[in-house]
Amino acid sequence: MAVIGVGRFIQQRQDFEDAIARSYQVEMAARVRLTRGNDNRTARAAVAAQANRRQELRDQISSDTRDTALLVAAGLIAGLTGALLLFSGLIASMRRPLEELVDAAGRLAAGDRSARVEVGGLSETATLGAAFNEMAGQLELEASQRDQLDRLKDEFVLTASHELRSPLTSVQGFAELLMLERDSLTAKQVDTVEIILDNCRHLVRLLNDLLDLARSDAGRLAVTPKPTAVAPLIDDAVRTMRAQTEGASQALSERIEPGLPLVDVEAGRIRQILVNLITNAHEYSPEGASIEVMARVVGVDVEIAVTDDGPGIPESQLEHIFERFTRGDAGLTQRVGGTGLGLAISKSLVELHGGTIAVRSTPGVGSTFSFRLPAAGLSGAGPGAAIAEAS
Amino acid sequence: MTRVLVADDSETILLLMRTRLELAGYEVETAADGQEVTELLHEGEPGQLPDLLLLDAMMPRKSGIDALRELRAAGVDTPALIVSAHQDATDADAPSDLEVSGFVNKPIDFDRLLDDIAELTS
Repeated sequence: MAVIGVGRFIQQRQDFEDAIARSYQVEMAARVRLTRGNDNRTARAAVAAQANRRQELRDQISSDTRDTALLVAAGLIAGLTGALLLFSGLIASMRRPLEELVDAAGRLAAGDRSARVEVGGLSETATLGAAFNEMAGQLELEASQRDQLDRLKDEFVLTASHELRSPLTSVQGFAELLMLERDSLTAKQVDTVEIILDNCRHLVRLLNDLLDLARSDAGRLAVTPKPTAVAPLIDDAVRTMRAQTEGASQALSERIEPGLPLVDVEAGRIRQILVNLITNAHEYSPEGASIEVMARVVGVDVEIAVTDDGPGIPESQLEHIFERFTRGDAGLTQRVGGTGLGLAISKSLVELHGGTIAVRSTPGVGSTFSFRLPAAGLSGAGPGAAIAEAS
Repeated sequence: MTRVLVADDSETILLLMRTRLELAGYEVETAADGQEVTELLHEGEPGQLPDLLLLDAMMPRKSGIDALRELRAAGVDTPALIVSAHQDATDADAPSDLEVSGFVNKPIDFDRLLDDIAELTS
């Protein structure tokens, strides 16, 4: 319509200019007749008539221009509206399938492996939907295969660590038996048996750690927390480690804030974490180093920290330090006999208790591993709190 | 002399147990599985019962747990320790009707085991 309008406008303009030109020609002819002096009245009338004629033409063209402009505008508006209607129809027909896709992708990302979309609508969205469903199906298949592999791995670790215990019992038991008769052994034989025993203990630690990790992965690592005093736990762990730290002339001390609240924990597991942390401090620090176990209240938590003045940990290793099989640089000491699993297990155990674990270290100054445990009864909803109120 | 009946399906473990316990002054009898334990005790004269049972939890034919269940049903109240290859088996895992005196984890801490045996047979 707008195009028609523009065409008409150009035609009208042409006609107008032709008519004006003719009008001037007629007037000029009349004025020629006037100067010749004949037929004066008719010639004057013709001149006046042509002036009027041109005025009319001008009025006409301006009114026509207005009409044509209106027509062009109407045409443009109609065209735009039509285009908008067409587009909104297109958009509407794509929008629902796209929204469904976004929704399904979100569910898939959140772990719902059965997320699928209904395939339909425009051919483009239908193709997209079919491709999404194929991808989701593949992911579901792979995830279920991975789950099965994970289960097999967990089963294997559980069985292996179980089955290895009997032969290990024999090796360790007979080596101990030899040591009972150490008076009749040569010094070299005693050293040999001690190496066997050291390696047995290492294997036991490795088996226990692997078992804990397999349980943790299988979601079967569980704790049964009870309100527990922190100080005796630390005393116990320090007593366990005393012989080893004294063997390396390391000072192992405690600094426990008085009046610490009880924590909701399984005592054996917290002891295990502490022994892990003190063992690390002992193994990675040189002879004569100082190791301190501290406990204090931080907000509603009890924080327990093991600090050493050993070589420290480079920043590049810090961020991976709680990952399994990550081990520090053993160059400084030959004592390091860890499994690379202790910190990963400690982290799992702390988190299982609703706590957090952290590390701070400055190379050349030392390291601090600290973990926080929520104080018992402070969660408010615990059964202990209810009983205390009732009695 | 204090008598201990040890049951384990590994001959090596039985040899180890026998050696350690005999060194500590105990008289030791052995059985290869739970079946042998119940047969030994059923055949034995009354009053000939051992002073302590040291039973592996998992054995072919009859487990230590099943053997103990049978013995308890037959009125045998001899103290019993269950040896388990589970890293952290605790008294809480024992079926309460079995009156298990304690759990011994593998690998065996013999100093602790001998302390426990001395306490249970004193």
